Amino acid sequence: MKMIATLWNTLKKPPVHISLGVIIVASFFAGVIFWGGFNTAMEYTNTEQFCVGCHEMENNVYQELQTTVHWENRSGVRAICSDCHVPHNWTDKMARKMQASKEVWGKIFGTINTREKFEAKRLEMAQREWARFKANGSQECRNCHNYDSMDWEKMSDEARRMMMPAAERNQSCMDCHKGIAHHLPAQMGSEDPLLASLAQDAGSTRLETGNLYFTAKAVELFTDPELTTPAGKVEMATEVVIAGIQGNSVQIEIPSWRKEKGFGRVLYEDFGQNIISAVLEKDIAQQDSAFDYREKKVDELTGLPWAEVSVKLWAESGAYINSPEEMWRSAEQTYRDACSVCHTEPDPEHFSANTWPAMFAGMVGFTNMGPGTQDLVLKYLQKHSSDYVEGSH
Amino acid sequence: MEQSRDQNEIPSAKQEWLSFLFVTAILVPLLSVAVVGGYGFVVWMLQVFVFGPPGASG
Repeated sequence: MKMIATLWNTLKKPPVHISLGVIIVASFFAGVIFWGGFNTAMEYTNTEQFCVGCHEMENNVYQELQTTVHWENRSGVRAICSDCHVPHNWTDKMARKMQASKEVWGKIFGTINTREKFEAKRLEMAQREWARFKANGSQECRNCHNYDSMDWEKMSDEARRMMMPAAERNQSCMDCHKGIAHHLPAQMGSEDPLLASLAQDAGSTRLETGNLYFTAKAVELFTDPELTTPAGKVEMATEVVIAGIQGNSVQIEIPSWRKEKGFGRVLYEDFGQNIISAVLEKDIAQQDSAFDYREKKVDELTGLPWAEVSVKLWAESGAYINSPEEMWRSAEQTYRDACSVCHTEPDPEHFSANTWPAMFAGMVGFTNMGPGTQDLVLKYLQKHSSDYVEGSH
Repeated sequence: MEQSRDQNEIPSAKQEWLSFLFVTAILVPLLSVAVVGGYGFVVWMLQVFVFGPPGASG
């Protein structure tokens, strides 16, 4: 306290012993040294050596980078961590440096200090970084790569076919090039991150018996709660009712329609609509006692008899979400992104639910949608087709 | 160290130099770092809760 008083007492008066000139010159140089030091320290935190100082970075992402073109290539230009992961703009850079306090926290408490823990968090970390690239149009990629400087003649036909439309729309690089420098999260395989994030959401849904849910991915079905005897597969984005919960298994009830002809293995979403809910094993499909029959109708168009049925089967828990809205939004985005690369995409209600499958199958080969994504997008289109928009849905 | 009972007492040369060096070499640099850090932190929090990730800029 006394020291502060002495200090204040000294500072509030003009100096008697030090000349103004000395103070100005010394302060000027102190300022120069401080600013230089500040920038040097800031630069140091941008070096690769600093980044891989933590084994979390060294053993995972750094090793992965070394197998990619951003590490070694014929022109000898390479990217270091900060080239892609630290914004260049000063304000954003400061914000990013403060954000690193979270990384320090993670280091201290060992949040990702083993390979397993790292892999478990990889999707979450990747999504955060992808969101950043999405928001700034992959600015960090474009610090080096520029659409205007691309020589289309030198590209392979395939690359040009993808790259030219992207350049026209000034598309964000990371829309297509995820996993270019590090491994993709295991949940994704080569799949769309959209499916992975839906599956992740499903993990946190609270399930209650008697409530209606939607499948967040294709789910294997079994006849027993131990999940040993396969009974088929329920498709993604299908309405199911939770009929029972036992440990990590749930009994799901699939309200659906099926054709009363052949084995009846395929369950459809609605009467006369070719929207697949589930595909069952032959044994189960033919076992009448497994089904709860409701209504029977003949489809005038095809002359086929249909029956409204409901079947209860066991499946893993953790694959269901409360509302399909988020799923439809993602599917719509994927549909618009993928199709508009070549042509104006028709609105989903432009075709009927039974027209879409053939239409979709004819076009989907030109896109890069994985099988799971295709199933979801087709279902989105069918459920938003002319049969559903004007109807009671 | 002299006692500062009297607030109007003229500081000694040593006191002046110590105060000067303390302020220029320690206090102001620390404050500067705190201000820049605080600014970065505020921007980060705004990004987390309000604006979302930073958009494209120069």
